[in-house]
Amino acid sequence: MSEQKQLLIIDDDPDFVEGIKSILVKASYKVDVAYNPKDGWAALEGKKYDLLLLDVMMGRGAEGIMIARKLGKDAKFRELPVLIITSIREQMAFLFPGGAVHPNFVNVDELVEKPVEPKLLLDKVSTLIKTAEAKKKK
Amino acid sequence: MQETKILIIDDEEVVLDSCKLVLEPAGFKIATAGNGTVGLGMVREFDPDLIFVDLKMPGISGFDVLERLRAMDPNRVAIVITGYATVSSAVDAMKRGAYDFLPKPFTPDELRLITNRGLEKHRLVQEAVALRREKEMLRENFAAIVSHELKSPLSALQQFLFALAADLDEKMSEEQKARLERMKGRLDDLLKLIHTWLRVFSVDVNKIKEQFQPVVISTIIARAIENVLPHATRKNIELSSTVGESLPIVSGDAVSLIEVVGNILNNAVKYSQPETTVRLTAEAASDGVVISVVDAGVGIAKEDLPFIFGDFYRGKGAAQMESGCGLGLAISRRIVEAHGGSVSVESEPGKGSKFTIRLPAKT
Repeated sequence: MSEQKQLLIIDDDPDFVEGIKSILVKASYKVDVAYNPKDGWAALEGKKYDLLLLDVMMGRGAEGIMIARKLGKDAKFRELPVLIITSIREQMAFLFPGGAVHPNFVNVDELVEKPVEPKLLLDKVSTLIKTAEAKKKK
Repeated sequence: MQETKILIIDDEEVVLDSCKLVLEPAGFKIATAGNGTVGLGMVREFDPDLIFVDLKMPGISGFDVLERLRAMDPNRVAIVITGYATVSSAVDAMKRGAYDFLPKPFTPDELRLITNRGLEKHRLVQEAVALRREKEMLRENFAAIVSHELKSPLSALQQFLFALAADLDEKMSEEQKARLERMKGRLDDLLKLIHTWLRVFSVDVNKIKEQFQPVVISTIIARAIENVLPHATRKNIELSSTVGESLPIVSGDAVSLIEVVGNILNNAVKYSQPETTVRLTAEAASDGVVISVVDAGVGIAKEDLPFIFGDFYRGKGAAQMESGCGLGLAISRRIVEAHGGSVSVESEPGKGSKFTIRLPAKT
């Protein structure tokens, strides 16, 4: 077993978080959670993560999107792989009229819909981490 | 209850007085105006439920009053009072928005009758306006309501079940596992249903146009068949496909097109008797690709054919045979039309149906 990867979940639905967290913990990831964008950003600033799982629709607005945008603009975070979690794939199209459903906020990201099957979740997480690591080595 | 207000615009005082005399005892609040300009000036403030307008007045005519009324608010109900009750002037007035006309002289009964008719019309118009507004609001808010209030809790539930299933995998008996699977299955159906509703009512399918890419039809068909195969196998129905070589490339959204072909195939399987075959053919046409799906199922009655691509239509046999919400074909039609194509159907009850999807080639 290689060193444990450190993940951060930013999502305002504690129940959903509990559900995915347990799957990730069982797969030997270390998981931190932030339940709002503010705490999420503070966590990102305070610690180095291997991957971020980000709910794009938090609260009434698209506050998650703001985080994704900030990450893309920040050289420090641009290489952090992000798994974007959305309750509706088309929601992305609402948020960005004319934009692609998968907008590629940062260098390595993927989009999944809630709820996410354990296998799919684990596949995406490990693929994203590997892709990001491979990019870094280049 | 709010009182019912009626405005009467007429230059003859005797008409105004007699109207008041008849209508006030019936509980209506009456306002009167001696000419069109004064009358129009009162409309906004008094906000009448019904307006009587004399056609022939000094100053601006009844016709002009009608036109300005309509410009102010097309939902106002106006009835013209006319001394020259010729058919042509009445028709003229109605063309300009009057709901009905009252010929002078009139009896109290005639006035009461036409007043009630006008008020009934007013009520219907108000109801229609309210319904339209409600529909718009619903449409606008649907995405937000559905995604947050309905889908989020279900997603959380499902996520818990996924986690539970993983946690307890070794501890559960086969029976318990099966129960958990059924719970997941039911939740999954519910989530899919919500998703479908959302797509039908709230998502502008035309948005997919913005992401069109060159699409290989044979790949679409292979993926769709893969999705439907478990359903077909369960019902012991054979899926056969004949895909022509060198089909033209289509400009489209692969995920949506897989959904369309999948929907049509799934329907064919759904309405087929066991041990029959569903045949899919794809061939090049002069202007694109034609995909047809033929089943030997229950078929569709002729009188139902015009409605099957509408929202919530369900085949008569569906209730007994399979579940569904009747939105699959509606969505499919929208998606195909967003691609500049068409979908059509031929069917004979008892013999089966043939669905044809036409997609234009990429230019």
